Amino acid sequence: MTPPAGEHRPGFYACRSDEIEPGGRVIRELNGRSVGVFNVDGRFYALRNRCPHAGGALCLGPVTGTTLPARDFSFVYGMQGRILRCAWHGWEFEIATGRCLPDPRMRAKTYPVVVEDGAVYVMI
Amino acid sequence: MIIDCDVHNSWNSSQELLPYLPPYWRDVLARGELPGGRDSFPHAHRPWLHPEGFMRTDAIPPGGGTPGSDYELMRTQLLDRYDVEYAILGGDEGIEVSTLANPHLASALARAANDWMVQEWLGRDPRLKGSIVVAPQDPAGAAEEIRRIGEHPDMVQVIVSSGSQRPYGDPFYWPIFQAAAEMGLPVAAHLGGQGGVNANPTGTGPPSYFWEAHALLCETGMGHVASLIAHGVFEKLPELRFLLIECGVAWLPAILWRLDADYKALRKETPWLDRLPSDVAREHIRLTTQPLEQPKDVRHLWSALEAIDGERTLLFATDYPHWDFDDPDRVRIPPAWRDRVLRENARELYRLPPPRAAAPQTQASTS
Ligand code: FES
Repeated sequence: MTPPAGEHRPGFYACRSDEIEPGGRVIRELNGRSVGVFNVDGRFYALRNRCPHAGGALCLGPVTGTTLPARDFSFVYGMQGRILRCAWHGWEFEIATGRCLPDPRMRAKTYPVVVEDGAVYVMI
Repeated sequence: MIIDCDVHNSWNSSQELLPYLPPYWRDVLARGELPGGRDSFPHAHRPWLHPEGFMRTDAIPPGGGTPGSDYELMRTQLLDRYDVEYAILGGDEGIEVSTLANPHLASALARAANDWMVQEWLGRDPRLKGSIVVAPQDPAGAAEEIRRIGEHPDMVQVIVSSGSQRPYGDPFYWPIFQAAAEMGLPVAAHLGGQGGVNANPTGTGPPSYFWEAHALLCETGMGHVASLIAHGVFEKLPELRFLLIECGVAWLPAILWRLDADYKALRKETPWLDRLPSDVAREHIRLTTQPLEQPKDVRHLWSALEAIDGERTLLFATDYPHWDFDDPDRVRIPPAWRDRVLRENARELYRLPPPRAAAPQTQASTS
């Protein structure tokens, strides 16, 4: 997507890449939208801070792992640091893709991210 | 503008109640055993632990502390943001006094919680209205407390937990309903109190998982509705209204169909009741909407709600700041019902004054 006139860089500047530790996030107002930018193991992802379930503050929820599918009573904890639980009702979303774990028909809005010269840009 | 009928204001520590307790109970709270550390509130916990904690994580105050403990944040996130005309505060842990075996301790804590509500909250904002928490295991003490603090103009209802030792129509509890009716206050049962002496939250014995249990706790609501109607509480106290808070709504039509059918067959068991249970319910039972059931096709929900005259029997609630919050802008109520459900039914139930001329409010913030 082409950034609107007046934006000299790709997308919208969110922060410096060293502002977000792995596992951390920042919330920014970009192009009139509240957006969460996450650092997952050194890769950056951006999600709209508005939950597709009921409009809650998705990006203010905790970043966690979760139980992986199992057929017996085993509890295999996986996807550590890759799950965002919505701050309201706690539905789980995969940060990288926006996939909603409990409801595959639902997806959180994600935006591509570009890191250039230590700066993080979100392509809105 | 909305009236929100289920808002939770919390203390950060049970020790905030010390100034509101008489000396012996102050000593007990300050020095005695507590279930979860010095800040915890005396109660017997439910057997299910929420694996994430049951608060909205964006409602934690900026300086830390319990969600619901910070008035300013409540104002930003709820009162101003959704143009709330009135918020009915129910406290938070207070209703758990119903789980304690000692009725004297339970009533002392309830009294302290009510004085804390009046002193710490109700004066802050004319939009805030309070609930009188009572210990149902001490009906005489509860009735006394209703008469003591029920005079306060901003205390608008009596509240107990939905978890109980017996269904609330039992004559054991009548002093509570008599006092409430005398003071012109509705009695609300709020989801909770599933532990300790309230040993039967569901009919099968306890479910295992939190989400499983949470969905089933509407069972307590079913029991109370049937019991209050069958015992003729509303025939004795025709002005009384009973409100179920957070107990679900879509089950009510089915239960009333069943009660009507069985009543017709066995009316002779309850000769004081001379009309159908569903007629009694329509007049006397009210329900808050949150968490409103979410079927794929909303018509299925709406046709069930029509059967209980939802336009007149439902009251909107958010449950702020809890994890199953309902957003008034998104809640799926039939458009023609919105005025009544989001506002006017509550105004009638709580006898709140007609809308004020535009009150000065800070600008709503959105995120
Ligand atoms: S609004 Fe995000 S889970 Fe409901």
